[in-house]
Amino acid sequence: MTSFTINGRAVTTDVEDDTPLLWVIRDAIGLTGTKFGCGIGMCGACTVHVGGRATRSCITPLAAVEGAAVTTIEGLDPASNHPLQRAWRELQVPQCGYCQSGQIMQAAAMLQDFPAPSDAEIDAVMTGSLCRCMTYVRIRAAIKQAAAEMGSKA
Amino acid sequence: MLKRLLLGAVVAIVVGISAFCVFAWRPAIAEIPQPARDSFAPALVARGEVLASAGYCASCHTAKGGKPFAGGYPMATQFGTIYSTNITPDPETGIGKWSEPAFRRAMHEGVSRNGAHLFPAFPYDHFTKLTDADVAALYAYFMTRTPVRQDASDNTVPFPLNIRLLQAGWKFLFFTPGRFRAEPAQSAAWNRGAYLAEGLSHCGACHTPRGMLGAEIKSRAFAGAPIDGWIAPPLDNTNPSPVPWTQAELVAYLSTGISRYHGTAAGPMGAVPRGLSHLPAADVGAIATYFASRNGSAGHDRRGEAAIAKAMAADKVGTGLTYDPAARLYTSACASCHYNGRQLNPLRPDLALNSAVNLDDPTNLIRVILYGVSARDGAPGVVMPGFARGFTDADVARIAAYLRATRTGKPAWSDLETKVATIRAQGQGQ
Amino acid sequence: MSRLPTRSDGASPFSRRSFLVASGAAGVAFGFSRVIAAIDPAVPGSVPAPPTGPLFEPTMWFGIDAAGIVTVNIIRAEMGQHVGTALARILADELEADWDKVRIVHVDSDPKWGLMVTGGSWSVWQTFPVFSQAGAAGRIALIEAGAKLMGANPAKCTAKGGAVHFGGRSVTYGDIARTGAVARQFTPDELKALPIKPVKDRRLIGRETHSLDIDAKTNGTAIYGIDATLPGMVYARPKLPPTRNGSKVVSVDDAAAKKVKGYLRYLVLDDPSDTVPGWVMVIASSYYAALKATDLLQVVWTPGPGADVTEQTLQDHARALVARADGGIQLDIADDDSTPDFGAAAATTIEQIYTTATVLHFQLEPLNALAFEKDGVFEIHTGNQWQSLILPTLAKALAVPETKVVLRSYLLGGGFGRRLNGDYTIPAALATKALGRPVKMILTREDDVRFDSVRSPSVQRLRMRFDDGGQIQAMEHHACAGWPTQVIGGPTLLAKTKKGGQYDPFAISGADHWYDVGHQKVRAVANDLANTTFRPGWLRSVGPGWTNWALESFIDEAAHHTKSDPVAFRLKLLTGKGRNAGSAPNAVGGALRQAEVVRRVAEKAGWGSKRPADTGLGIATSFGQERDMPTWVACAAQVHVDRATGIVRVEKLTLVVDAGTIVDPDGALAQVQGGALWGLSMALHEGTEFVAGQVKDTNLNTYNPLRIADTPDIDVSFVESENVPVGLGEPATTVVAPAIGNAIYAAIGVRLRHIPISPAAVLSGLNAK
Repeated sequence: MTSFTINGRAVTTDVEDDTPLLWVIRDAIGLTGTKFGCGIGMCGACTVHVGGRATRSCITPLAAVEGAAVTTIEGLDPASNHPLQRAWRELQVPQCGYCQSGQIMQAAAMLQDFPAPSDAEIDAVMTGSLCRCMTYVRIRAAIKQAAAEMGSKA
Repeated sequence: MLKRLLLGAVVAIVVGISAFCVFAWRPAIAEIPQPARDSFAPALVARGEVLASAGYCASCHTAKGGKPFAGGYPMATQFGTIYSTNITPDPETGIGKWSEPAFRRAMHEGVSRNGAHLFPAFPYDHFTKLTDADVAALYAYFMTRTPVRQDASDNTVPFPLNIRLLQAGWKFLFFTPGRFRAEPAQSAAWNRGAYLAEGLSHCGACHTPRGMLGAEIKSRAFAGAPIDGWIAPPLDNTNPSPVPWTQAELVAYLSTGISRYHGTAAGPMGAVPRGLSHLPAADVGAIATYFASRNGSAGHDRRGEAAIAKAMAADKVGTGLTYDPAARLYTSACASCHYNGRQLNPLRPDLALNSAVNLDDPTNLIRVILYGVSARDGAPGVVMPGFARGFTDADVARIAAYLRATRTGKPAWSDLETKVATIRAQGQGQ
Repeated sequence: MSRLPTRSDGASPFSRRSFLVASGAAGVAFGFSRVIAAIDPAVPGSVPAPPTGPLFEPTMWFGIDAAGIVTVNIIRAEMGQHVGTALARILADELEADWDKVRIVHVDSDPKWGLMVTGGSWSVWQTFPVFSQAGAAGRIALIEAGAKLMGANPAKCTAKGGAVHFGGRSVTYGDIARTGAVARQFTPDELKALPIKPVKDRRLIGRETHSLDIDAKTNGTAIYGIDATLPGMVYARPKLPPTRNGSKVVSVDDAAAKKVKGYLRYLVLDDPSDTVPGWVMVIASSYYAALKATDLLQVVWTPGPGADVTEQTLQDHARALVARADGGIQLDIADDDSTPDFGAAAATTIEQIYTTATVLHFQLEPLNALAFEKDGVFEIHTGNQWQSLILPTLAKALAVPETKVVLRSYLLGGGFGRRLNGDYTIPAALATKALGRPVKMILTREDDVRFDSVRSPSVQRLRMRFDDGGQIQAMEHHACAGWPTQVIGGPTLLAKTKKGGQYDPFAISGADHWYDVGHQKVRAVANDLANTTFRPGWLRSVGPGWTNWALESFIDEAAHHTKSDPVAFRLKLLTGKGRNAGSAPNAVGGALRQAEVVRRVAEKAGWGSKRPADTGLGIATSFGQERDMPTWVACAAQVHVDRATGIVRVEKLTLVVDAGTIVDPDGALAQVQGGALWGLSMALHEGTEFVAGQVKDTNLNTYNPLRIADTPDIDVSFVESENVPVGLGEPATTVVAPAIGNAIYAAIGVRLRHIPISPAAVLSGLNAK
């Protein structure tokens, strides 16, 4: 039995504890916004937050999150209205959209550490998140727009 | 003549064996009726709880998925697998019928209630330093736990090493019983730290190298040692961290599991900050004072500043446009969490400063890359995923070599790929 | 140190109630059902809302309900182009609909829709006339019905904003539909005859809009093929054979696999369609169990052809084929298809070989399919780009009529041509038939790559003959690669020459360029070794991805050979005369429009101005995919080359595109940005090689597609145009590699003729100088 919280809700599961968190989230809990891309932690499509930190769920065994707080794209903001999500919509960042949950989750964690990120910082932190449609130009712009909005409120 | 010589030899052997037996023999201490829970003062029990936590009793006396203190946790030693015993107050399978003197004898002398010598996997060589008062508190704590009926697992120590009597020989060679004696020249805090580090928290059990027969080499106390597939880094002045382990850094690390300038507590060390977290802050500070004194960090602050500046510069290496396959592997797999940029964030452990990257042995780095760090260990509530499934041995070796080369000025590790394969074959462990 | 959120933080809006999640290992009964008959990508969960009241459907392409909601039926796959939005706006513009009331639905593979394919950048081009007419038909019918309701003369009524207006009165489309009084239907001939609005009256086409599929893609509610689930389904992962074709299973040992909790069984697939020869499916109650059990399953095969093939043998084979004078198919360029004379008459001749490496699709959503049988019909739930191509194969594999198979559409987590080949639906279908229960097959990334229909490696030989005055007299272009359309599409999809030669048009497109080069010969050669070793795929732009690399590098070389300015040289050859004059409706203006984008990009990028040392500007141009549907593109790449490391840094890409009418400007921009970066990725970063009949790089630990840190500044502009709208998904892909190659030459004088360009190749070029 493994217990943790997901999007604020306590969950206990008897899924085998070496199962990657990704499959527990998708198949056992039924939240499919978190995506399977490479399975080796190198594309970022499966990124969730564990304890507020961006974490590749495809290579995180269930046992590792015992007692932890997991947040998925569905729980990033109660109304899906995080400044990043707004910027993503306004700039029409997604193309196929498959990587975008992970991009947004990675970017949200980044803005906690780098509230006003430079291009170099965006590149360094976001390079782990592959976008096969190559929406990178807009990802950069959207992160900066959200950061500016969050900064002006702070 | 020959006959007499032979006879003499036989007599000598018999006398020797008899003498050894007399030396080695310990009586059983009579069973007692199980003491009632309310016969122990609550304050004493509470103090025992703190001590049990700081002695990590649960770490070794609880099996994975098992009931607390019911034993069965396997410890792989070079002599075979030894399973921890049930120290709940169950009268049949635990210590329910142990008197306090029997408990104290186990702690101070490594002898079971029935007179059998205990294996030194139980660190009585450290617990012998505990005061009678602390032992009494621990006794009160354990006798008031929920009893669990669980038989001990059979150890796999082969004959003749499994003859308990022979353990007396080991003790004769390596074990000096006796309570902790303060160093009058040192401060009270230092002495308190020494008492905890050398006794209750038995830091040397992992951090001091052991000889052929598994005993700690006293002359090399805290010089670092391999333990359970990990490397316990040196805690003396040979520690290779670029930033000195000052008293303040030690306090942060021991109380939260995170050090801004060294990394997080993983592997067997993961249990330590959790265990110490119940101690009063002054006690953790005392342990830090003791080790800061042993590692000679005082006066090395300038070395730290230079190292931090160098690390911040190294942070940017490999990020941005790069064609180097190793750098691309690092930027794609690691930099999203480990890149810092403008200032050090302890939740983005800096790999140039990290102990695992700076140790002479790559084992810890390889282990963490392969198996990650769970939410319980390291920075609490935070996870580092494990790359074992997706990365080949060559990939892990490539990242390790790359970090070593670009983040430290230290010599390259040899045979990395073989080491990765060996560690992968060992598995994640417990 | 920032504070870690603690477990007891009460900030969450979600229920605090604890819930228990069971693994379901005892039986297989997941509680979630996420199968969809058709998708509306604008709705969380993608399930279209049912219509309100009676539905008015003047053509099969859309319906209007009593609430005035216009639902447009989209037969194209949504894979990032926001195709539904672009197509719906074409229809809504003619219909005079209220855009806020327009919904889109991506439909299933009902035969009534006709050819269902999403590729070739054809969607807008092919749909524009059909949807314009469908919208016009609806408008006419609604005006007639609205006039009747208002007792007015239809000729005096107008339609605007989703209502019919007469004098000061109006009646909404919803009100008209509610009466159920409109039954007007149009025959195909009537539709074709309908007039289309003049450009000045357009209200939606060419205006900025918010794409309907965007929002759900930012909050996790968009549903992709991999998200489809059904209670009672089992999970499957294939154990892939050693070769793509012809492998046969000798024996299977699942002793070790049986130790995995949740492992159910294995299945050796019997495939009458021969799509997945030698496949063994591992069936389990969870995907992770299937994943682990597949690793442990021991299978012995007899491999099929190609088990010893390497990238080198593929390239050597192609080199030998293009070197030969015979073989291959000569395209009908001119009436005279004789071979140009490169003999003694030529003053000078240049000849070069260009090569490209094997490239993976690596669409981010690994291949997957959910298959089950319901009421005697096999349903395949997945994202797919060419339903019409795979349906007959599915029917053959399942041994049922095509009417007993239906493909349900889902969002695609990337297409790029991979899902034009629907081969991945076959194993799921066969498994559900064999097991009699729903099967969810998901390939791991490594499986996906090994099963990819990769972009074939290519070898091309180009020759050009000049007279004494440096004028071009003749040109030859011989291109050899695997032919996807031959291997996957089958003979009926091949192009035919007048002499009856059959060739893969997509594998040679681009070589039949719009430059005036005198006597021109273009020869397409199939790499038969590639065709048998793997199943070559269509990958974003297909042939022009390699033909234009060769052509535009070679044109640059020709310019330098004649000591001409590369821009001026191109403009001189783009005369728009003869066969390059263009034709209505698609290629109005011909090569003159290509000349215009070249001129504009040169000006925007500052062609001819002085640049710092080791920095160069390179130009390349193309007509996109096919001469029948040219999208005129030009690209200028500014690069800096580090002479010490050989590292090429692309500082800026400037593109000018003439794609005729732009329906969805922001979507068009996104396609060009993405396409150009794909081109950059394949020019400098991407590429793998065959080793023992398989691609060597199967995941991101060694395969290196473009990432954000590799992304330069990119400046895209469109030529304003009222011409027929043509494709945008692929054209930009074709110009970037040659622009970079030409820029490297401009920067350091090194000519590189293989992509991807590696720092090592740059260094060896510098050393050879």
